[in-house]
Amino acid sequence: MDVLVRLNTAWALFQGLLLEALPFLLIGVLIASLARWFSPGGAWLRRLPAHPIGGPLSGAALGFALPACECGNVPVARRLLVGGAPVGTALGFLFAAPVLNPIVIASTWAAFPDQPWLLLARPLGAVLVALVLALLLRLLPEGELLRADLLEERQLAQPLATVSLLERRSGLIGLTAPTPLAQPEPARGSWREVLEHGSREFLNLALLLVAGCALAALVQASLPRQWLLAVGGAPTLSVLALMALSLVLSVCSSVDAFLALGFAAQITPGALLAFLLLGPVIDIKLVGLLGLLFRPRGLLLTTVGACLAVLLIGQWVNLWRL
Amino acid sequence: MGPALLRALALGLWAVVLLQSSVDGRLDLLLRSAFHPLVSAAGGVLLVLALLQLLAALQRAGGGTVRRDGPVALLSAAIALGLIVLPPNPSFADLASQRPADETGQDTLSFVLPPAQRSLTDWVRLLRSQPDPQLFVGDPVRISGFVLPMADGPPQLARLLVRCCLADATPVGLPVRWPRDQAAPRADQWLAIEGQMAVTGVPGQERLEVVPSRIQPIPQPARPLEP
Repeated sequence: MDVLVRLNTAWALFQGLLLEALPFLLIGVLIASLARWFSPGGAWLRRLPAHPIGGPLSGAALGFALPACECGNVPVARRLLVGGAPVGTALGFLFAAPVLNPIVIASTWAAFPDQPWLLLARPLGAVLVALVLALLLRLLPEGELLRADLLEERQLAQPLATVSLLERRSGLIGLTAPTPLAQPEPARGSWREVLEHGSREFLNLALLLVAGCALAALVQASLPRQWLLAVGGAPTLSVLALMALSLVLSVCSSVDAFLALGFAAQITPGALLAFLLLGPVIDIKLVGLLGLLFRPRGLLLTTVGACLAVLLIGQWVNLWRL
Repeated sequence: MGPALLRALALGLWAVVLLQSSVDGRLDLLLRSAFHPLVSAAGGVLLVLALLQLLAALQRAGGGTVRRDGPVALLSAAIALGLIVLPPNPSFADLASQRPADETGQDTLSFVLPPAQRSLTDWVRLLRSQPDPQLFVGDPVRISGFVLPMADGPPQLARLLVRCCLADATPVGLPVRWPRDQAAPRADQWLAIEGQMAVTGVPGQERLEVVPSRIQPIPQPARPLEP
């Protein structure tokens, strides 16, 4: 096939992915900007539970308030982290909320009305994957997990007692509770400041989204999908193949159930669930966006942890359903 | 031009990308219609944000506190401009060749149109629910689609089914008995075919194919994707 023809096809795929994802990215940025405006210091964020299990679970539950896919969740998760929310809670939100929200649950039901087990297994699986990842990423200190600029902003919103002497850059030590914030609670900014911040964030994230969509489109245009679906009936290989497909396809969680409908009949139930669980956590399109939160080591651990957790869940479902 | 003005320009261009896509038919080529209002609304919101950003920039000179603001906004604006001036022009045949045929379908259809009113997709779904080809021999056919070359036989007339966006498009096709005295149709050519159904193949492995009485080249339809 002519290279030019294939490039034209990749260009169209790129535009399709981008135009579908941009509105969700905008929703996420708008919600993050509004949260910043209504609660500039994010005092309520610091009251979210920090328990290793309860934190991610409460973060996951926040997904019901944000009907967006994973693209929209990244700016909101960043806002949670910057505002001083416990890391586990923000990670629970980041990883589970793309599935645990009304739109995604409704679209899964609409696509698979005759498979009620999936309607239960998908949210449960998403919470399980988020819990595993939140616990796994706790192994890294915040300084090794989060990007330097994000960490710097985050430390401004944390009590001084939790920031090390070198990091706080002040002479205040040994204070008793109530501990002051590293920076006083800011006043509500003007609409211009919020607009400027939101615009900058949207343009930054849009660039990363563009890069992810371009890569995903190039891979899709050059990799015959039959190769990945050829092993549809094998219990383990089918799960691995559909995980690879979800990484490549990079569609948003709000629509991936309809996409899966196209090949659901050719694959094992575990592979179907694996496809619906992995894409909302990590895919080619998301790598750039998540790079705005995590250092490379955190990103690598997220990818490996998510793949292993989803593989195990897919295998278990195949043992149960096949 | 200051960073704030550049941001307004970039936001404005992204708004144009989304709004223009909504009105020039580009979305019909890329996304299922259920998502079109979402794209239009996002374009509207971006336009308002761009105007507010412009207003803020004019009222207060400067506004860029981060050094890389300018380059990011400029690069973003350049990409948006690229999307505006380079509309998508995919090869459906190339796309379909990378995808397995659509296998979804109900065992029984609750409603079946008269033969001459069935689209290509209706025919494929009907044949999947009623696999006995003898039931349809002689039925009149009036369908349209693009020419999809097949690795293991003559080209088929095909359509792309889309559930979300072009990324999930899967092909459905019908075999056609192309006239022997004419050159094979070229890939991606859109055709309207009138004819009737006939059976081909050895006993036990019969399949239906369209025997055309009239083949008419047509332009690509405004909404080439089917749900």
